[in-house]
Amino acid sequence: MKKRTRIGLAIVCAIPILSPLLFMAGNDYLIQAATRIFIYGILVLSVEMCWGQTGIFTFGQAAFFGVGGYFAGFLATHENITDIGLILLVAVAVGILAGTLVALFLFSGKRVGELYVALVTLVISFVCEKLANSWTFVGSGNGIPGIPYPTIFGKTLSSSIGLFFVAFGIFALAMMMCIGIIQSQFGLAINAVRDDEERAEFFGYNRSALQIAIFIFSAVLASVGGALFALSEGFISPSSLGLALSTSTVLWVVLGGKGTFFGPLIALALLESVNVEMRSILPSLWQILIGVMLLLTMIFLPKGLTSLGEKSRNNRKNREQSKKS
Amino acid sequence: MKLLEVVGISKKFGNLAALTDVSIHVDANEIVGLIGPNGSGKSTLLHSICGRTIADGGSVLLNGKELVTTNPMVRAKSGMAIKFQLARIYVEKTVRENLMISLQAKDGMWSLIRSGTSKKFMPRIEELIVEFQLVDYADTEAKYLSHGQQQWLEIAMAMASNPSILLLDEPTAGMSPKERADTAKLIKSASAKCGVLIVEHDLDFIKNLCDRITVLHHGSVAASGTPKEIEDDPKVKEVYLTRV
Repeated sequence: MKKRTRIGLAIVCAIPILSPLLFMAGNDYLIQAATRIFIYGILVLSVEMCWGQTGIFTFGQAAFFGVGGYFAGFLATHENITDIGLILLVAVAVGILAGTLVALFLFSGKRVGELYVALVTLVISFVCEKLANSWTFVGSGNGIPGIPYPTIFGKTLSSSIGLFFVAFGIFALAMMMCIGIIQSQFGLAINAVRDDEERAEFFGYNRSALQIAIFIFSAVLASVGGALFALSEGFISPSSLGLALSTSTVLWVVLGGKGTFFGPLIALALLESVNVEMRSILPSLWQILIGVMLLLTMIFLPKGLTSLGEKSRNNRKNREQSKKS
Repeated sequence: MKLLEVVGISKKFGNLAALTDVSIHVDANEIVGLIGPNGSGKSTLLHSICGRTIADGGSVLLNGKELVTTNPMVRAKSGMAIKFQLARIYVEKTVRENLMISLQAKDGMWSLIRSGTSKKFMPRIEELIVEFQLVDYADTEAKYLSHGQQQWLEIAMAMASNPSILLLDEPTAGMSPKERADTAKLIKSASAKCGVLIVEHDLDFIKNLCDRITVLHHGSVAASGTPKEIEDDPKVKEVYLTRV
C-alpha cells in the first residue's frame, strides 16, 4: 500500500475514534453532519471510480443515489421492512439493475465522447427528479417522509451515533473496495481506458466491458449511499435524485482533485461542514461563492486541492536536484 | 501460408479514393517497408490493417483469419500489434506499468480483479526493460523519458505479448542518428519473433532494414520488390525519390 494511501486511511479511521468525543460533548448535530458526509462520501467514491479512474464523466450519479433512497424508503414505509442488511441488499440489486441498463445504453456500442456521457447521465438525473416530483405513488414533491429507524439484528438503530457507525462502516468498506480495485491489475486496465481508450483497444482490452463493469459498480455504490441517506435522514425527496446533488458531487470531485480519492472527500467534508451555516449567513451569496471557488480552482489548481501537495513535492525535488547539480 | 495477407483493399473518403485495390503481404520473420509520398495512402492502409479504419472492400487475413471488418480488440487478440507515429504510451504511468498494461490486456476481467497474472508477467517485463535499454528508467513515469525512449517503450509494449505481426508507423520520426541505428537493431531482433510492416519516409533507413519494399502512389501500389529493385525502378524514382 502506498504511503499516501496509508496516511489517508489513518485519517479516515481517526474520525470515528474522535467522533464519540463529540457525542459525549452532547453535539448530536455534529454526529448527524458527519454521518451525512460519510454517506455523500460513498457517492463521491462512485463518481471518482467512474470519472476520475475510468474517464466516464457521469453527471447524473444522483439518479442512482435517489433511486436507492426511494427503494429503501418504499420498503420501510410500505412493506415494513426495516432490516438494514436486507434494505442494503435491495439497494445493491437496484444499483446493478439501473447501472446495467444505463451502461449498456452508453457503452455497448462504439466509443462515445465524454460530453455525450455527461449529457445522457445529466438528462437521466433530470428525468428522474421530474418523475419523482410528479408521481404520487412516490409522494410527488414531498417524497417519502417518516421513514422509520432501521433495525440491525432485530434491534432498532435509533441513536445518531449508531447510524453514524453504520454509515462509517459502509463508507470504509466502499473505500477499501475502491482502493483494492485501483491497486489491482483491473485498476491499471481502467486507467489505461481513461488515459487513451482507443490505444487500450489496440492492446486488446475489451473497453466496453471495462466501462460497463465500472459503471455498474459505481451505480451500486451510489444506490447503497442513497439507501443509507434515506434511513439516516428519515425521508427521501426528489432533490436527492436531481441536478443539484449531481452537480454538487461533480463539484466536490473537481475541487478535491479528479483521479484521487482523498481530495474529493476532503472537499466534500469542508464544503458540507460549512454549508448549512453559510446558507443561513449568506443565503444569496453562498452559491455564488461556491461558483467562484470552483472557477478559481479550475484556473489555478486544475488538478484540484490535492495538486497543492504535488506542487510542493515537485518544488522540493527541483530544489534538491539543483543543489546536487 | 502468408502471415499477413492484404488483398484488394479499397477505401474512399467521400469522393476521394484513398486506396484502390491495394494488395501486400508479409511473411513470418520478414520485414516489409511501405513507402510513398505524403497523401499516397500509407497511413490509411496501415489503419485499415489494424482496424482503426474499416476498409470499403478487400481482405485482411492474419494467419488465414479474416479480420477486415473486425474491431482493433479482435485484431490485437489475433496477434496484431501496432506502434503509432506519435508514441501513444501512458505518460503518467511508469515504464513497468506501461509494459504491464500491454501484457495484461488480453486477460479476463476476473483475472484482472484478482491481479492473477501480475507475478507471471514480471520476468517478461524485466526482459523487455533490458532489451529496450530502459533499465535505468524502469520505475520512472513515461513522461520523463526522451522522445526516442518513448518510441522504444511503445515498441516494447507492442512486442510484449509476442504478436504475430508488428505494425510500425514511422518508428524513427524525430530520432537522433544513434537512436535510429539502435531502433533498427531492435526492429531486426523483433523480426526474429514475428513479421514486421514498417511505414517510413526515410528510404535510407528502410532500404538497409527491409527484405521487401512496397511503394504506394495515389492510393495504389506503384512498385514492389527488394530494396535494390525499388531503388533502380525508374517509376519509383519518378513518383517518390525525386520528391523526397
